[in-house]
Amino acid sequence: MESLDEVIDAMIADRVIHRHRRIWLLVIALIVAAALVILATGGWKEKKGRVVPTMDAPATVTAGRFEFGFTKAEIIRKPKGEYSEAETVLRVYFTAKNIDSEEHKSESIHNDLLVFVPGGGEDLVDSNGGDCQGLNWDLVYGLPPVECSTKFEVAPDFAADTVEIGVLGEQYKGDNGALGLQEKPYWQSETPVAVVRLKPTVVVDDGKDG
Amino acid sequence: MKLYRPATILVGLLFVLLGGITRLAGPDHVYGDDQNLKVVHGTIGEALPFAGSGSTMKVTRIKFAKTIIQSDPSDDDKPFETNGVFIAVEWDAVRGVKDPDSFDPVLITDGGSVYTEVSEPSESRMEFPDAGFASTGAVVFEANPADLKGLTLRMKPSMIFNVYNSEIRVDLGIPTEDIAQQMVDGAVDQYVVNGDVTRVAS
Repeated sequence: MESLDEVIDAMIADRVIHRHRRIWLLVIALIVAAALVILATGGWKEKKGRVVPTMDAPATVTAGRFEFGFTKAEIIRKPKGEYSEAETVLRVYFTAKNIDSEEHKSESIHNDLLVFVPGGGEDLVDSNGGDCQGLNWDLVYGLPPVECSTKFEVAPDFAADTVEIGVLGEQYKGDNGALGLQEKPYWQSETPVAVVRLKPTVVVDDGKDG
Repeated sequence: MKLYRPATILVGLLFVLLGGITRLAGPDHVYGDDQNLKVVHGTIGEALPFAGSGSTMKVTRIKFAKTIIQSDPSDDDKPFETNGVFIAVEWDAVRGVKDPDSFDPVLITDGGSVYTEVSEPSESRMEFPDAGFASTGAVVFEANPADLKGLTLRMKPSMIFNVYNSEIRVDLGIPTEDIAQQMVDGAVDQYVVNGDVTRVAS
């Protein structure tokens, strides 16, 4: 049997909850609307200055499991053909060496370890992965450096005197075990290590051999 | 109406306790270093059962090579070269009825190196055929000649859930550095990677 006090308490609670209902709904609606507007306008990005060193090619960069030696860059233009659109790719040549002294494991250079930095606040462009005797060729720990290249998709009218390539390195660490994650260290979380500046040469690929 | 009835609080406490108990059950057993994997050891020429699937895998021969090339190259295809050495592992697989777990074969050594299979040519692979069939083929690894002692082929099933399972380890017969050096010195100039051939399991 409920007492009168409890009934009155419940009534008061009911009133309190409903008193500012319209304002609450309005506030929530405003927040949702603001989120939608920010999403529609491309989100907001935190602008940060460059915090890693910038080097000029030829440069050697040690990042995570690999040691890169950047040599040259090419802007390869493929003119518009009868059946194909004009295309331009930026190809960067480098030597790579597996220096994974933690796991001694063969590994290929993942496509997100090298990025093209267009500058001017534009988004970074991922590479297509390390191409050493074939795309995503695994480099063996302990062997000398291997000649590799990687490709970035750029706009057909792309032109530049210098290009900047960002090098990311993975870290060998474990996760927080208290959250039920893997405590044993493994290679993860790519972080920027350096930016290498190269002067590209323009090459025209007319599709003919030799 | 009371918001916090004893029953509500009890249910909450129960969840907290449950979380604690699963933690006590030993995170090592959930995420540990392959404690749920039984190792099936074997040598060249032995057909070894793979992960309880009724399928068997046998290494028939290993071959050291300085370059590799696919069996049916086109004009543009050059042999693949290495600063180290290529090791071709020729295998014979018999498929059981149950679909075997997928796996990535690797070579491991006493020195702790892990060598993965080459990504090209595509003829280099290690796979079980369809049920009722058997197949032979070759898989090629690139390796560092300085670390070959205790060379072992490891076939570890990849699992989404941690269940009891087994992995295969095949001793490829390189017990000492001297033997490894002899194998590297005796490496053939070119190894032709043939695609796998399937036959009816007898």
